[in-house]
Amino acid sequence: MSRKPITMPALSDTMESGRLVSWLKQPGDPVKKGEAIAEVESDKAVLELEAFEDGVLAGPLAEPGSELPVGAVIGYLEDEKPESIPAGDPAVTKGEPAAEKKAKAPSPAAPPTGQTPSPAEPAASLREPALPPRLHDKTRKPGSGRPRISPYARALAAELGLDPATIAPGADGTIRSPQVVAALLHAPEPDLDAGPAWRLEPLTPMQKAVAGGMSATLHTPSFRVSARLPLAPLKAATHDRGFSLSLSLARACALAVSEHPRLNAAYTRQGLAMREQVDLGIAVDLPEGLVTPVVRDVARRTMEELQEEWKRLKQAALERRLQQKDYTGATFFLSNLGTFSVVQRFDAIVPLGAAAILAVGAEHDGAVEMTLTCDHRVVYGADAARFLQTLSEHLENPETILT
Amino acid sequence: MTEEVFYWQALNRALDAELAADDAVFVLGEDVGLYGGSYRVTEGLYAKYGEWRVRDTPISEGSFTGLGVGAALAGMRPVVEIMTINFSLLALDAIVNMAAKVPFMSGGQFPMPLVVRMPGGVAKQLAAQHSQRLEQMYMNVPGLRLAVPSTPQDAWWQLRQAIRSDEPIVLLEHELLYFSKGPLDVTAGAPPMHRAAVRRKGADLTLVAWSRMVDLSLRAAGRLAEQGIEVEVIDLRSLRPIDWDTCAESVQRTHNLLVVEEDSGFAGAGAEVVATLGERCFFDLDAPPRRLAAEELPIPYNRNLEAACIPTVSGIVQTVKEMLEGGENP
Repeated sequence: MSRKPITMPALSDTMESGRLVSWLKQPGDPVKKGEAIAEVESDKAVLELEAFEDGVLAGPLAEPGSELPVGAVIGYLEDEKPESIPAGDPAVTKGEPAAEKKAKAPSPAAPPTGQTPSPAEPAASLREPALPPRLHDKTRKPGSGRPRISPYARALAAELGLDPATIAPGADGTIRSPQVVAALLHAPEPDLDAGPAWRLEPLTPMQKAVAGGMSATLHTPSFRVSARLPLAPLKAATHDRGFSLSLSLARACALAVSEHPRLNAAYTRQGLAMREQVDLGIAVDLPEGLVTPVVRDVARRTMEELQEEWKRLKQAALERRLQQKDYTGATFFLSNLGTFSVVQRFDAIVPLGAAAILAVGAEHDGAVEMTLTCDHRVVYGADAARFLQTLSEHLENPETILT
Repeated sequence: MTEEVFYWQALNRALDAELAADDAVFVLGEDVGLYGGSYRVTEGLYAKYGEWRVRDTPISEGSFTGLGVGAALAGMRPVVEIMTINFSLLALDAIVNMAAKVPFMSGGQFPMPLVVRMPGGVAKQLAAQHSQRLEQMYMNVPGLRLAVPSTPQDAWWQLRQAIRSDEPIVLLEHELLYFSKGPLDVTAGAPPMHRAAVRRKGADLTLVAWSRMVDLSLRAAGRLAEQGIEVEVIDLRSLRPIDWDTCAESVQRTHNLLVVEEDSGFAGAGAEVVATLGERCFFDLDAPPRRLAAEELPIPYNRNLEAACIPTVSGIVQTVKEMLEGGENP
């Protein structure tokens, strides 16, 4: 008995790998030379893979849906096994595998299998097994092949740059424009089956909130400006008075923001929302994730008041007792990774509702690299530079900050 | 100034206005004179304009329509009334072979200011030989124009435009529309005779209809709106030519097309609408365009069978929902 490998074919000049869409035959099915045994998707189209000689399809078969390089073995063709050909009418034996499959995977389109054929319609029940098995495969596997796509949905997907293969069809198996829009609104899911085994860890509410908040910023056109600013004077002054360095930095930011009100604005379709006070969100690293408690009116209140509020917020964050009003509504954000001495610089994402976020790296030689990420609909490059300039002046004169 | 009138009254006033305005205009047909017209369209005109301008003819469609063709050739502006479209089969030679051809075959030397008015459609138990629509037959004749007014206002405008036109025009009325009422403003300016009208705006599906099916479609659209489905209803008003721009602009917005026609679908007006809009709007379509048409049958006399043969309001509602909810197509 000989056994010959079936390999992923090169279906076009440019094809390097292909996706096995579905098997049109099952292991043990006899196949004729030239008969379609599988559907393979190249970079251009879905095509049928034909048997290169007569034989019997044998496993192990590659999993439908898997992406494989050209030349990879996807299954085997064996000589016909004599015991697999029972005596009798060949038409009947041909029909048997199809009938089995039908019982395993009935589709709504299939007639109920358990029902006794009515005597008035014997022709229908007799005709059914005579259909070629391949047709049965196609009708009984709703997931196989590509879903239909309407001309408008196809054009819309092309315009939006969506690959129709990534769009989930509607209930009837057809992709129409609502499915394209849904696919656009929902980020594409990664194809995990292509990688190693995995298990699902549900998102905590905090992870969900961060994921939602960050995804909501996808439409913000942003840019970054970095600067190296002095930290040693503020650090010394803060230490002397027992204030938190993060809070002192926040205070410095708030003072600079109030001198550059654009940094305190938020973009809306109707115009820029100019806010009257600087409410500063400070990113806090927690074992469960990330939260940004908001200290209110940071530019105008005394450091003592702010220190008290910040202590309360931090404690509540650690104990996971923050209420919604404690972490929403910030007009400017600060993210400080300076406690990690290896961090030179980084940039952050501007949350919705703010014009900018300042990312602070670790101190080296008395100075620290800061990167301001800005919503370019609100703030322009020179605004960001002027803000950093002002911030630098405050940092050099910590007395202006800590009074 | 707007008043509520019957469809037949609007036609009657249009004839009156044109008879008064131009001595070359005259009306002829069976029972148009003394009797005042089978559907009252010529009521009072015989008394007002006399037997020479409102002429009763023998029951002989071929001869009096041919007379109309000859009169048009001789410089008159005849308005021929044929009692129903079913009888116009006897006048096809005059309409198709003569009226539609003479302007072309004479190199434009003979204009053909002929109007042939006739009602079609399924009425109330008139049986197969008196219930035909046959609009696709006249649509299919180059050289003819076919107008299909669905409201008193359009009946008024389109009949007057037809009489003033130098082209041969069939004005296809509907037996069940003669006694429908609607607003008529005789002072309002008219759109071009072939311009389609958007009778209801909607974003979800373009429904194309004409003649009596416009009313059913609007009622269906009202019911669908209660379920959150907004259908745009276009009244074609003219079946030759058809105002493709209005239709295409709508389909490009709604991405769905349904044609509702009272005639059988096979090789019908709806087939033409779907084919042309399919060509023009292929990449805008979100579902296969569909036709909701009459059964492929001579219309039965039995009342229930007759009603079951042609589109209904609930049938339209159901078809629209199938299309938008992605149900299997037949």
